Amino acid sequence: MKAWLRSFIYSDDIVGALTIFLGLLILFFALMTPHFWSMNNFYSIIGNIPAMAILCLGLTYVVLIGDLDLSLGSILGITAILAVFFFKVMHFPLWLNLISCVIIGGLFGALNGIIVTKIGINSIITTLGTMAIIRGLAFWIATDVDAMQIGRITDPAFLSFGRYYFPEDSRLIPITLVYIAILYGLSYLFLNHTSFGRKIYAVGSNEATARLAGINVKRVKLVCYILAGMLSAFGGLVLVAQLGLGEAQTGQNMILEVVTAVVLGGVLLTGGKGRLTGVIIAVLILGVIRNGMVHLEQVTDISFYWRDVAKGVILLLAIGLYSVRKSFNAKRLRTRQ
Amino acid sequence: MTFSSIKINTTMSLFIFLAFLIVLFSFTSEHFLSPYNITSLLTNLSFSGIAAIVLTPIIISRGLDISIGGVIGLTTVVVSALYSQTDPLPTWLILIIGLGTGAIVGMINGWCITALDMDPIITTLGAMAIARGLAYVISDSQSILMFEDTTDFISNGTILYIPIPIIIFLITAIFFSILLHKSKFGRAIYAIGANETSANLSGIAVKKTKMILYVMCGIAASVSGIILLGQTSVGMPQHGIGTELEVITAVLLGGTALSGGKGTIYGTIAGVLILGVLFNGLTISGVRYVHLQIFQGILLLVAVATYEIKTRNEVAR
Repeated sequence: MKAWLRSFIYSDDIVGALTIFLGLLILFFALMTPHFWSMNNFYSIIGNIPAMAILCLGLTYVVLIGDLDLSLGSILGITAILAVFFFKVMHFPLWLNLISCVIIGGLFGALNGIIVTKIGINSIITTLGTMAIIRGLAFWIATDVDAMQIGRITDPAFLSFGRYYFPEDSRLIPITLVYIAILYGLSYLFLNHTSFGRKIYAVGSNEATARLAGINVKRVKLVCYILAGMLSAFGGLVLVAQLGLGEAQTGQNMILEVVTAVVLGGVLLTGGKGRLTGVIIAVLILGVIRNGMVHLEQVTDISFYWRDVAKGVILLLAIGLYSVRKSFNAKRLRTRQ
Repeated sequence: MTFSSIKINTTMSLFIFLAFLIVLFSFTSEHFLSPYNITSLLTNLSFSGIAAIVLTPIIISRGLDISIGGVIGLTTVVVSALYSQTDPLPTWLILIIGLGTGAIVGMINGWCITALDMDPIITTLGAMAIARGLAYVISDSQSILMFEDTTDFISNGTILYIPIPIIIFLITAIFFSILLHKSKFGRAIYAIGANETSANLSGIAVKKTKMILYVMCGIAASVSGIILLGQTSVGMPQHGIGTELEVITAVLLGGTALSGGKGTIYGTIAGVLILGVLFNGLTISGVRYVHLQIFQGILLLVAVATYEIKTRNEVAR
């Protein structure tokens, strides 16, 4: 095999490959469709990814410690319902609404974390269970409270939480982009430049070693689950503000896409490895596919629904490539010995 | 000796819990024990029961298949789309293609998991997206009506007053309990789940065994899909959303451990019956669907927590 190809496939850094793939995708859609390459469409892509990007950030914390949290989509869903509930029934002011939603999201995350760390149930099963429970609660509130029949929010202050632009009149930078930048920036600093962040990587790479090194493994894990819950709640709030609508089924099938993005972004499911740059590029890739397929359907006869198939295929390819790389590295280690 | 007595106790306690539920619901609702309700209860549960039975050996071998719901949706769409052509193929051929759909998805799962050594959860998650996506593409997100005698007979027909789905469920259960508990193949599955490396070293064809399991699971999901198609007379891509949660809950409730090497078909049957009776009983007693979902989640967590704590106590002893 050619040396450059080998280094491309087997190198540990996936960010370069992802960026190239994203560039190729954009080029493909720009050449194939007339309206993809435009400022309007650029904003439309950016406008579609915030909730997804924030959820991915939350899941990254959990995957970094070697677990999986399937309940994040449900936490986003119940936040959507609670935001409307607090707004319409309790008449909370905006700041109180936002804070209570994020705190409740954190509590659901803590519930997951406590079940996983204290009882010791596998994280997938735990969050499969809480996924059903939290979604059930969301539907319960949505159907039992009369004012919730139509979950529409028209309050301009709330809507501007997700629709504001900087500067206001020239509509240059959407506020959601600022949220993403701040959250990813803070997380980057937290993960790479604080001792607690390094502990997260340590727990993910080898739990036993981390414990022997004096790290409170259970606390680190619990914090990761709480952060994931809070971030999902924040994502839910942004989504509600963008849509002006909170429904019980919000984010129902989102978790599959979130897992796909995080895994595609090069975060190892076994934990301890992964970079936020990879995750955000993977989010962009999925966003471009989702948007580009709509454009492609207008030009050609290719159904818009191929995007789901593409998503699954990309997930399998990403994991398959990783597995091949792993076995190659193992073989190389063996020959060295 | 001690091991076998523990196993019997676990399954026994499940059946005692089942009996308790039946007695409870016969008091809360006068219709619960009527022949009509019993038949409909069993028919409904055989739909997810078939998939649960076939998923059990996969979980015992330390795998998982989340693509079941996607395969169910894809199968209903493929079969109904083929039938709604202007000049349709013979029904038996369409049904075989339907079963083949599941087999192909199972084969892809099996190949990724064995040849590429990929994580079963992520693999089948991807397969679920692909299957569901294809279902949307083929049907163009429309519902396809299908009124056909054979599928109608499979889902609603009876032999000796027993509905056919129940018969399929019973045959699957008997076949797999023999396969798992009385055959060499079954012992190999337990060995793989307990320790894959040592199973491989002791000459068990690990990859082949796993491959067969995933293909069988795909076919079983397709059978469930065909039954669902017959019951609803409509093929649509949304069929089977959430079925995987129900099926996995039933298997884990039956005492099969996700960590592999442990579990029985009898346990899964008990799990399927408990879930079916619980849902039917709660519905018939006036509990709403919204609350059922919450019950299902709590039941899953409580069941798994119980096993987890029990295992921990045994290890500590």
